[in-house]
Amino acid sequence: MIKVGVSVQQDLSIPIREASYPSPFPSGLEYSAPARGTWNIVHTGMLIPEAHQVFVCAQGCLRGVVLTAAELGAEERFSTVAIRQNNVLDGNMEDLIINGVSDILEKMSVKPPAVLVYTSCIHHFMGTDLDTVYRELRERWPDILFTDCYMTPIMRKSGLNPDQTMRRQLYSLLKPSPMEANAVTFAGHDFPIDRSSELYLMLKNSGYVVREVATCRTFEDYQKIAACAHCFTTFPAAKPAGEYLEKNYNQKHIYMPFSYEYTEIVDNYRRLCDELKISLPDFNQYMEDCEIALEKTKRLVGSTPICIDYTLCPRPLGLAKLLLNHGYNVTAVYADSFTSDEKADFEYIQIHYPNLLLYPTVHAGMRILPRKSDEKTLALGQKAAYFSGSDYFVNIVEGAGLYGFDGINKLLELMREAYLTPKDTRSLIQVKGMGCNAGGCL
Amino acid sequence: MIKIAIYGKGGIGKSTTTSNIAAALAQKKLRVMQIGCDPKADSTVLLRGSEPMKTVLDLVRERGNDFSLDEMIRIGFADVICVEAGGPAPGMGCAGRGIIAALEKLREKGAYETYRPDVVLYDVLGDVVCGGFTMPMRPGYAEKVFVVTSGENMSLHAAANIAMAVENFRSRGYAEFGGLILNRRNTANEDLKTAELAEDIHSKVIGALNRSDIVLKAEDLGQTVISAFPDSIMAEEYRRLADAILEVCNIRRNKA
Repeated sequence: MIKVGVSVQQDLSIPIREASYPSPFPSGLEYSAPARGTWNIVHTGMLIPEAHQVFVCAQGCLRGVVLTAAELGAEERFSTVAIRQNNVLDGNMEDLIINGVSDILEKMSVKPPAVLVYTSCIHHFMGTDLDTVYRELRERWPDILFTDCYMTPIMRKSGLNPDQTMRRQLYSLLKPSPMEANAVTFAGHDFPIDRSSELYLMLKNSGYVVREVATCRTFEDYQKIAACAHCFTTFPAAKPAGEYLEKNYNQKHIYMPFSYEYTEIVDNYRRLCDELKISLPDFNQYMEDCEIALEKTKRLVGSTPICIDYTLCPRPLGLAKLLLNHGYNVTAVYADSFTSDEKADFEYIQIHYPNLLLYPTVHAGMRILPRKSDEKTLALGQKAAYFSGSDYFVNIVEGAGLYGFDGINKLLELMREAYLTPKDTRSLIQVKGMGCNAGGCL
Repeated sequence: MIKIAIYGKGGIGKSTTTSNIAAALAQKKLRVMQIGCDPKADSTVLLRGSEPMKTVLDLVRERGNDFSLDEMIRIGFADVICVEAGGPAPGMGCAGRGIIAALEKLREKGAYETYRPDVVLYDVLGDVVCGGFTMPMRPGYAEKVFVVTSGENMSLHAAANIAMAVENFRSRGYAEFGGLILNRRNTANEDLKTAELAEDIHSKVIGALNRSDIVLKAEDLGQTVISAFPDSIMAEEYRRLADAILEVCNIRRNKA
């Protein structure tokens, strides 16, 4: 078994110089590592306060989302409608959804302001008439807002995938509202922009109110997002949400890619300031602070091998580039593919650090890859921690709202902390939807 | 834009009838698009001669989404825009899902906005056997459903089933039933039996086509009767049928 593992390890990693962008690894049988901190469609949907979720699917497929809801303690906001064979044979899929959702609502003593109805692959295959379903539900329940959400893993690799769609649908329950020029939102984010980031402070100090779905506590708060004059997105999966807000609510959408590159960060801020007609602050001190923090952290971790995975943040290669350029010993990046935002970083590292190893995370061979090492490894991200077998790891997902120079500084702080204090990796990474039940989505 | 779906039992002459209607309408200077919803992909063959064409599902299978709208069509007789949805190999896959995927792809690629046809004809395989076969009846697709039938019992039975499906879906705002088209096979009491069905389903027979060898001769030439034998009595029957369809659609449209 070990021999197999060794050969698999040798076969699975690719030096970046030999890797092709954007997908270095062949697709095939997939493995899901037990690092569960990333959010799924249940967690993201829970961001809409007071809304109720109804999943309509075959029982076997409901298992995962039921466990997610149970783990969150969100059973009160979650229901299911199970599809049976007779529903397929009788062709009453539309009626099943309409009557199932209605039955759930009738049994609720306090009606929710909104219902997210998640349909699944079988509705897609059978061409279920969802327009009819939602029209009928809206007629039956005129005081409740309904929106269409999807649990369709078959769509993972074509068109908008379920993650992008879910982030977009977060805004589909907004009612049009008069625009407030000084209100802005960050769209499609599971985590709010960190309140100590220069981005947030810049907006706040210029008189802007930041409204994010992740910080809404009531459905009324959530509705106020519709009044925002601007929406910002910071990573590709969130873009459709920004485009949706621009198209349907006339909000000006600005894409400000999450970055570890000083010039790119400043370029983002420059566009933001131009658009909002605010003066661009001087960021030299921020950059100096980052450099100091990078040196301080480097002195601490020395040549300790560092591995990074894609769940840590939207730009694992951007982070690898920053660290490599500052002398860190980044040895591996775990990612199955790279976004368009990462293309330049990919090409840069190919030229300057050609031996950086890329590992897949879903390749079936990763299941038997040896995960223990005698050498201390600093892992950045849950999957990196799992695959490297390290207890010294930074435990955040999706960037955790860190952004810009302050985000770099805070990440370095987390790295120092992780390097010094081992964690109970096994118990930490198996909890689904990190941060969702801790002041976030519930 | 008038959108019409033509249903009927397999082998009853839907594609031949639809293609002749398309040709007749096109000769009236209407821009016509005919969409074959049949895995055999032979709905428009009489309009486009022997020119081969990729079906929508062939393109989807081979190239995902990486193809243009123009690659999904062929221009046929009298500039009729020909589309074949295609489908799985016989005995494989799901034909209903194929229709759904093909029609969604056409819509997604903006076929109706780009070509702006005056008339869209959906030529739909057989009976309404599953949800996929109702796709052409749904809002955004056909507004009227016509059914080609002979006086044979199986054909009438299929026509009744289709009429029932249309009735079942009326509350959903699907297409209305436009009427029956009698394609005579010269069986006993053919006209009477078809008229009885029309009465039962509260509709009418909007046109009748006589059995004629000239249809087969035109098919042997790979053409519609309208293009191969434009002066024939049969061509005139198709033109009358096309007029009747327009009349039904216009009358209903005016009512709305």
